Amino acid sequence: MTMQTQKGTTAAPKPIQNVEEKLQKLREIYAGAPELGRVALERMMPELETAVRLAPKATTAGRIGIRQGKVSEFLLIFKLRPGGADRLRALLGVLGGNFQGADAVGTVHDMRFVLLDNDTKLLFATAFDGDWDPYIADFSTKIPDPLDVLFCDCEGYPGMHSPKVGEYLLSHQVQADGWYVANPNLTVAETRRLEKIGKAVDEFLDKVG
Amino acid sequence: MSTLEETAAGAPPAQALALELHEIQATVLRHRPAPYFGAHVLLRIDDARAGRELVRRLMPHVDSAASWWRPANAWLSVAISYAGLRALGVPDDSLQSFSEAFRVGMAARARQLGDEGVNAPSNWEAPFGTGQVHIGLSAFSDSEEKWGRVLAFAREQYERMPGVHLLAVQDFGFQPGDLNSLGYKDGIDQPAIEGSGVDSLPGQGPLIKAGELILGYPGEAGVPLPMPQPDVLGRNGTYVGYRKYQSRVGAFNRFLRAHASTEEERELLAAKLVGRWRSGAPLILAPDVDNPALGKDPRRNNDFDYAKDPFGRQAPLGCHIRRMNPRDTKLTRLTDVNLHRLIRRGTTYGPPYDANAVSEADDEVPRGAIFLFISAKAMATIEFLQQEWINDGNFIGAGDERDPIIGLQEKDATFTIPRDPVRHRIHGIETFHVLRGGEYFFMPSLSALKWIGNLEERGSIEQKER
Repeated sequence: MTMQTQKGTTAAPKPIQNVEEKLQKLREIYAGAPELGRVALERMMPELETAVRLAPKATTAGRIGIRQGKVSEFLLIFKLRPGGADRLRALLGVLGGNFQGADAVGTVHDMRFVLLDNDTKLLFATAFDGDWDPYIADFSTKIPDPLDVLFCDCEGYPGMHSPKVGEYLLSHQVQADGWYVANPNLTVAETRRLEKIGKAVDEFLDKVG
Repeated sequence: MSTLEETAAGAPPAQALALELHEIQATVLRHRPAPYFGAHVLLRIDDARAGRELVRRLMPHVDSAASWWRPANAWLSVAISYAGLRALGVPDDSLQSFSEAFRVGMAARARQLGDEGVNAPSNWEAPFGTGQVHIGLSAFSDSEEKWGRVLAFAREQYERMPGVHLLAVQDFGFQPGDLNSLGYKDGIDQPAIEGSGVDSLPGQGPLIKAGELILGYPGEAGVPLPMPQPDVLGRNGTYVGYRKYQSRVGAFNRFLRAHASTEEERELLAAKLVGRWRSGAPLILAPDVDNPALGKDPRRNNDFDYAKDPFGRQAPLGCHIRRMNPRDTKLTRLTDVNLHRLIRRGTTYGPPYDANAVSEADDEVPRGAIFLFISAKAMATIEFLQQEWINDGNFIGAGDERDPIIGLQEKDATFTIPRDPVRHRIHGIETFHVLRGGEYFFMPSLSALKWIGNLEERGSIEQKER
């Protein structure tokens, strides 16, 4: 599998006068698709028409990246040094999904680490609240070790203490072309708060009910 | 008169001195006197040669921070915007070594700063955000007479200089009781800087590495922050975010009256918004009634943390001072509080606070505060504070709530006062401070000012050598 690593710039789509024109354009582009795709597209037309009529949900997050409501997507692709994939895999194995650093950060919804192209590349993808760059210095002073140990084998990684680390990450970011968020207005902090309130309400109802 | 400034200033240097104070401009470290008088003068440079001549003439009169803890009677500072550095003929490779936010200026960073709606640059007063503000002179003094002298001197320098254009003079001065334009004692909590030569006041918090606030020294991460080049230009300099706010005193008083029925209740509500009584006494140390003696005492009025008030029942989590310096508050986001502090030089302008001003016309009276927010990364810090701690509530688990004093409020905004057994949520809080304009400046060291003033000469020497 090969990945495109150039910056995904979702350039603003050309202004199309009306809904019908937009859908027609899509039909034309899909003319080259396998038949199964063309048929599916026709069946989806009512749904697509609704989508075109709705306002786009995505806005930009920071300099690159998409945001929906309060949640942003952040995807990085790095070239790995020889042996880096084995080290990372071993580390992720020991962690077993227990990322205490991410828990502490308090804004990270999820993280995935994927080794690509015969272990020569790392794809790191996450969804988080707000912007990351205002907090880059906080990561440097508060949790440099968990980040340095994860990313040390990425080519050119300057280390969390370097003032250049923000630029480095930005230069490896690839913007998604499409992205869905179920609860765009729920931050991690808000989710934790609601979870607590929900439990308290249930306990209260158990007592009175 | 016992003020923070005087008592702090009277303390002998105890903490080791590691800063080159004779190079750093006085305004960076000196607290404003009490009482204080002064003016901010904004200038445009139309001719580089004349601009450099002005810098050379002002140079000997720009005060350093040497012995900044001793009372001084008057001082002058010079700050230069990116457009100003260009207008003065600073070479391109130097210009490019400044950060992007500084180069484009405060108005162009409105999105990152959340300066929208009434605070948008399109609503600013001239000359802010026009690219014309090149030099900001600030004169501080402890008497009206000395202020007049400093200003007259400065005026002589720029008025007789064709090619230097005066854009605006903004007088400022202390108000009766040294209160700000909403009637509070302010300016109490300043960051304690490592190596600055003075012991911190009780409660001033951990010493902050000098490099966070002044260029050329190690910061909290152990390394110096990126610095403009060459070294002589950057070292011992710092950045200034200049923000002029107008206080909507009528709206503020109407809000207090609508949500509290007696004067006692009003004052308690006013204290809950800020986290301090108007006297300066913090709610953590004086939760139920004001204690003016405590408010006045610089060794006691900042000597607290939030360990015993995790839910904000004394000082609401969203109150102004808890947002601006959360201290040991447990935040929802991983945060190093030391990285987000600023030195503030607040200067009030216009008529003093009037508790009986309740009309909409009172909102339009030009009165408020001009802040100089000073740090080695002032642009990043101001943007951080605006985005995270002022115009959002997520970091304290308060959803969309904003800073009740300097936040830009949305329609039907709320302010939550935690209470036992249930919290009290006030609806309809308004924007009490409107941004009237702002600029980013670089405040060079004294050697850097000399370097800028002599740019032309050095250029010609280099040419001769070739």
